[in-house]
Amino acid sequence: MSQYETGHGAVTATADDSGHRGSRHSGSVVSFENVSKVYGRLRAVDGLTLDLRAGETVALLGPNGAGKSTSLDMLLALRKPTSGRIRMFGDDPYHAVKSGRVGAMLQSGGLMPEVTVRELVELVTKLHPNPEPVATTLKRAGIAQFADQRVDRLSGGQTQRVRFALAICGKSELIVLDEPTAAMDVETRRLFWNSMKEEVAAGRTLLFATHYLEEADQAADRILVINRGRLLADGTPAEIKARAGARRLSFRLGHVDEPFLLGLPGLVNLEVRHDVVQIQSSDSDATLYAVLDAGYRPSEIEVTSLGLEQAFLAITAEDDQTNGTTHVGETN
Amino acid sequence: MAGTLALTKAELRRLMHNKRYFIFTVGFPVILYLLIGRQVSAQAYGIAFGAYYMIAMATFGAFSGALNGNAQRISQEKKDGWIRQLRLTPLPANAYVVTKILVSLATTIPAIVIVLLLGRFYGNVHLPAWQWPVIAVTIWFGSTIFAALAVAVGYRFPPDQVQPITLIVYFFFAILGGLWFPLSGFLAKIGKFTPTYEAVKIGSDVIAGAAVPAGLAIGLVVWLGIFVALATVAVRSTAESV
Repeated sequence: MSQYETGHGAVTATADDSGHRGSRHSGSVVSFENVSKVYGRLRAVDGLTLDLRAGETVALLGPNGAGKSTSLDMLLALRKPTSGRIRMFGDDPYHAVKSGRVGAMLQSGGLMPEVTVRELVELVTKLHPNPEPVATTLKRAGIAQFADQRVDRLSGGQTQRVRFALAICGKSELIVLDEPTAAMDVETRRLFWNSMKEEVAAGRTLLFATHYLEEADQAADRILVINRGRLLADGTPAEIKARAGARRLSFRLGHVDEPFLLGLPGLVNLEVRHDVVQIQSSDSDATLYAVLDAGYRPSEIEVTSLGLEQAFLAITAEDDQTNGTTHVGETN
Repeated sequence: MAGTLALTKAELRRLMHNKRYFIFTVGFPVILYLLIGRQVSAQAYGIAFGAYYMIAMATFGAFSGALNGNAQRISQEKKDGWIRQLRLTPLPANAYVVTKILVSLATTIPAIVIVLLLGRFYGNVHLPAWQWPVIAVTIWFGSTIFAALAVAVGYRFPPDQVQPITLIVYFFFAILGGLWFPLSGFLAKIGKFTPTYEAVKIGSDVIAGAAVPAGLAIGLVVWLGIFVALATVAVRSTAESV
């Protein structure tokens, strides 16, 4: 269903960029080939294969402990995969990071204390080969008004914005963010996504991990659903919703014929209570037409959108059912 | 290299804000020298007590400065994730440790210079001109031994454990190395293998006009080798948890 279905990492070199906005490179920015990370008996990441193309905004979506942070850590050369291969800009992760082509903001990235915000941004800016002017970074990250305060005296939201500034100050082609808005209030979160949109408009590729579904839905043009270290779904938000049966159809029916209902097109899940039928469907129109075409005349028809949240829950629940429910602890 | 220097500069600026650091590295040895240094008639290691105590206190200040502040900071910065943040920049992997050693070298200078000045003008230590830089540079390079140990301890242990560990190491090498009082008898037998003793003895042998035994210099290099190895193992083995 999805043009990004897993398992075609090998074709990245010839991947076409059609449908993706203004990219400076064609081809693969990031590729994971069958990457695993094992801690003792825990498989934090289990045979992950994916690739990102230039200009994409990709959300890595999964519950806590799904392996999101571990995957990003490996991409950024903080951890080594147990097996498999990761490439970034055609190079190994360490050299790609050291070339300054990646800017990153991780959950646990601390700041140097006892200096001002400006001094810190100046320092990290100096470390990059082709940086943004410091004043631009301060403005974009919304930290200019407290640039002369000491780093260790900021609020949680302010600290998060400074860390964001460090991720964008190098004018990097790829920006990697791990749960970027976790410590932000609503207003900061809005500001953050606005400035993020500017980065993307400037042609950057953005990869962010999140467990906020609406964030993935609104910000990303592609979502990778990951659970227990494995990639479960890969596609646009609309495709992900469709895959999980994104609409719920409910109606009353005098005589319920369950075998018939189970054969309906698009059906993902069926619940029948007395004369009330609830169907989760990936194509609610087709499902409803089939019911009508068979001569049934249901009453109190309701079609509701499930949204990404239920889609996500459906996908991960399905996975947990088929593969056991042992969750791997988040590793940092 | 430009990145390493930028980081070193930022670190030095940070240190200027930190008064506690100067109390430890400069304040303690100065006070001890003022209290004990001017014993006119006494002798130690074959030279005037005031000269011995000047070398001992300069060594004390430099070594404690290299160890205490650094180990604590490294451990805290590892815990806070600053080391991790730096790993996400184009700064080379070893730059952080190199910077810590460079900063340590810079920050031991005040302790050495001030104590030597105190020896000259308060302790009435008169030496041929060439002996001053020899003594200063010996102590200065010797302090890198403890800067390396600070890296090992800072990477290996969390901040709340670093404090007691560095304190024990600090007292151990200060007392056993004869920094607080000259060694004799049993203590001298064990103490003469410590880097602190070796640094002080090189200085006092220079002043006494004796040939400096090669063993002392080799001893310092061996200690440096041991602590650099410990630091390397500590940094490598914690690479995935930083």
